[in-house]
Amino acid sequence: MSGRAVALVGGATTRFGVRPTTWAEMAQEAGAALFRAIPELRADECDSLFVGAAEPERFAFQSHVAPLAAEQMGLRPRRILQRTELACASGQSAIRSAYAAIAAGLSDIAVAVGVEKMNLPSMAEANSAMGCVMDRPWDGPHGATAPPFFAMVAQRHMLEYGTTEEQLAAVSEKNHRFANTNPTAQFYAKSFTRDKLLRLPLVAPPLRLGDCSSMTDGAAAVLLVGEEFASRFTDTPVWVRGTGQYSDFHNLANAGSLTDWVGLKHAAREALGRAGITVRDLDLAEIHDCFTISEIVEYEALGLCGPGEGGPFAADGRGDVGGDLVVNPRGGLLGCGHPLGATGIGQAVEVYQQFAHQVPPSRQAPDPEWALVHNLSGSANVHSVMVYGRGRAA
Amino acid sequence: MSPEAPPRRARAADPRLDTVPPPPADAATKSAGDRSSVRPPYLLDFFPLESERETRLHRFYERLAEGRLSTTRCPKEGTLHWPPRTACPSCHTEELEWVDLPERGTIYAFSAVLAGAPLGMEADLPFAVGLVDLDGAPLRLFGRIEGASYTDLRIGETVRVESYEVGDGRVFYRFRAGPGPGGPPVA
Ligand SMILES: [Zn+2]
Repeated sequence: MSGRAVALVGGATTRFGVRPTTWAEMAQEAGAALFRAIPELRADECDSLFVGAAEPERFAFQSHVAPLAAEQMGLRPRRILQRTELACASGQSAIRSAYAAIAAGLSDIAVAVGVEKMNLPSMAEANSAMGCVMDRPWDGPHGATAPPFFAMVAQRHMLEYGTTEEQLAAVSEKNHRFANTNPTAQFYAKSFTRDKLLRLPLVAPPLRLGDCSSMTDGAAAVLLVGEEFASRFTDTPVWVRGTGQYSDFHNLANAGSLTDWVGLKHAAREALGRAGITVRDLDLAEIHDCFTISEIVEYEALGLCGPGEGGPFAADGRGDVGGDLVVNPRGGLLGCGHPLGATGIGQAVEVYQQFAHQVPPSRQAPDPEWALVHNLSGSANVHSVMVYGRGRAA
Repeated sequence: MSPEAPPRRARAADPRLDTVPPPPADAATKSAGDRSSVRPPYLLDFFPLESERETRLHRFYERLAEGRLSTTRCPKEGTLHWPPRTACPSCHTEELEWVDLPERGTIYAFSAVLAGAPLGMEADLPFAVGLVDLDGAPLRLFGRIEGASYTDLRIGETVRVESYEVGDGRVFYRFRAGPGPGGPPVA
């Protein structure tokens, strides 16, 4: 990749869950956690701040959140201050924007923070906020939210390929088991066997409660720096080696195949190509398991297995420790919860900690060289991919 | 847009009023499963603003009120759009024409919302939704499916398009399963 090399040099995640705290308080909490995680960092040297936030207007009745987050975190950005919104991929968008700014020489030391407050006293209002992610005046009046859309993906995948509820449960069991090693996860210290998952109530058939990520409050922050600054903050920098995005529709009528996520294929090809590797080189992947079926379709679109083979890939543990690569060791969206703006940042924190061998052995990818992070947003109509490497670009 | 008859009903009489008229007394009984007579604030209302003073696509809703589901077509390329548009996404002409869509379709995929309804739709639970391939048109529309429990629906089943009154003078469309009586016939 051309341009200045950019390193991810640390980060931190707040507790994810149903939190008795506000949007602004979580921004403070993420800032405090970031400065604890990187003791060498001084607030006055952070020249830029990128704030991933999907729907603060809806969930917290608050716009103009970038300066709000800066004040909460004790930062005074003097180069770039910006909010990024891409629904479920808002956090990764903050990281991508920070990367682009640093690579272009417009920033040297940038913080990317993601914050989302989603739990409200009225669940119906929170559900309305989620419905706005769709094409509101056309799909919204029918009651379109994420669960029925991804349920149709699961229905078609079962019809076309024979995918089973048990294979969906295998994804959920793995990610909840990983979440049990992550004290920041919403479902930390909660056990979900496959049998238990298959007895949970249906939310949008064939998807059950355990097939769906939750409404979650949480925040996370990472530090990205230009190559000449990396060694000041860490001995184990992780290098941004590739990015890619693709979007080809918004209204559900224009989705095309529900089971072949062409946009992810394009985004992954772009990101892996920029890194100069193939999917076989990956040691770990943090991919967007907003629903169990999403992880299965993503295995296929990423080329980790063939079309229709995602169910067996899950059931055979090929995305587990000891498999082809470790998928969602953080616990995924299923286990950690999915605070929209914070998710992509939390995934990057996991990648940093995996490369630094700071995670428990039961979820550690062996000596990782390459990692991929993926977020979809909305009805899988946008795919965003980043590739991280242990080595700086040659 | 091609020239057409002016809208046959004006909704908000006084444009200075930032309110819509109260729903007719019988609104709640006009179609089962529709919203209560209380209109949510605009920023929590999924149903669009439909009148000529609010959208350039008001003809869609006027035709829908007559029981006709329609959309725009590019006269240069013959391409049907969904949703209807004011400019063609391919050649960018703004001279589009309105065409009626088929009244029947075939279920491509479906599910149901059993929990987690948005505001104003809680009383509808559980409700079925699906993607429906319109018979004879290259469009696959998403929509509510009334008239059958989701447990009785099947992929490949025929459904009909119907329009319905939202309850405050506005209209919308949905699908109805089975051979029973639906809304007004689609032209
Ligand atoms: Zn055209």
